[in-house]
Amino acid sequence: MSKSDPVAFTPAQMRRIAAIDAVRAPAYALGATMAGFATIAREAGFDVWMVISTSALVWGMPGQVAFASLYSVGASLFIIFVAVTLANMRMLLMVVSAADMMHLHLHKLPLWRRVVLMQFLAITSWAHLAIAETKYPRHLLMPYFQGFSLTLFSFGIMGTIGGYFLPDLVPPDVLRIIIFITPIYIFLLIIMAQQKANRLAVACGGALCPLLYPVAGEWSILIAGVIGGSLAMLYARYIAKWHLVQDQ
Amino acid sequence: MDDYGFWQSWAAVFLAAIGTFIWRFAGVLLASRIPPHSPLMDWVNTMAYAMVAGVLMLILVHPTGILATSGLDDRLLGLAAGVAAMMLTKRIIPSLLCGILMFAASLHLF
Repeated sequence: MSKSDPVAFTPAQMRRIAAIDAVRAPAYALGATMAGFATIAREAGFDVWMVISTSALVWGMPGQVAFASLYSVGASLFIIFVAVTLANMRMLLMVVSAADMMHLHLHKLPLWRRVVLMQFLAITSWAHLAIAETKYPRHLLMPYFQGFSLTLFSFGIMGTIGGYFLPDLVPPDVLRIIIFITPIYIFLLIIMAQQKANRLAVACGGALCPLLYPVAGEWSILIAGVIGGSLAMLYARYIAKWHLVQDQ
Repeated sequence: MDDYGFWQSWAAVFLAAIGTFIWRFAGVLLASRIPPHSPLMDWVNTMAYAMVAGVLMLILVHPTGILATSGLDDRLLGLAAGVAAMMLTKRIIPSLLCGILMFAASLHLF
């Protein structure tokens, strides 16, 4: 890390630091994930403009994958809409949490600018925001997010375009390994969450969701999130209260 | 399998975008109503963490696309190696490499 005091950074410097953080690893991983989406979408019958528009406008992996797989089986537009809406529902909580982490209320932005900012929110930038929160002063977290998420977005779109044309070039064995990177990367980020309750929520939600999936389908994410998050919260607030003093 | 016409395909893209946008928009509206550092905000956070972890485990346990052609044991072994390395070293990039290498080795050796 830089030796200078982070409080003294200008927003422009902060954006540059964030962009460099993104290029260190997550941007490539995300580009690769989007390349993976593009290969699925091409198989499903998307043309290149549809693939790019989907990545750019949806910008949320589980919804994009649900979209491409339903498209490939010729599902109705209504089914597609419902499935994507369900798959990306976690965006609601992620946006609230991200706005809280970057202290968005301090910046007094008009509604449309807050909406544009959040259009670039993805799991990776959300998870990195939680780490930046522990390193930088609160007024610089929004510039951090801007630099980080825009870099990620450019790599994501490049990955989408590359992935559309790439399957002919990269052997499937290598492609499998590339696509494995992003989920592992983010998992490793979130299990190191600062708050104990959040780490507990990761364990509960992560264990519940795949178990619920065979019975609950797309709803499993929502159910696992609410049950896992509530259990973690209750544990941290009530059961663990008596040894909170020793923890701090 | 029915093929979509030009307008239908683009309507599908548009609907997928709307289906995600409504949550982002609702999130922005909701965020300004929940007081920071309140128990409610903590709860939103734990639920967000649980949902993200759920999505990731879903990708690993029930994948679609090309990842589905690898074995569940390969993917879980890769995850376990990454998590174990993270617990020991607390360093993200070496742990990530550890997980990826374990996945690759498991794919090719077993």
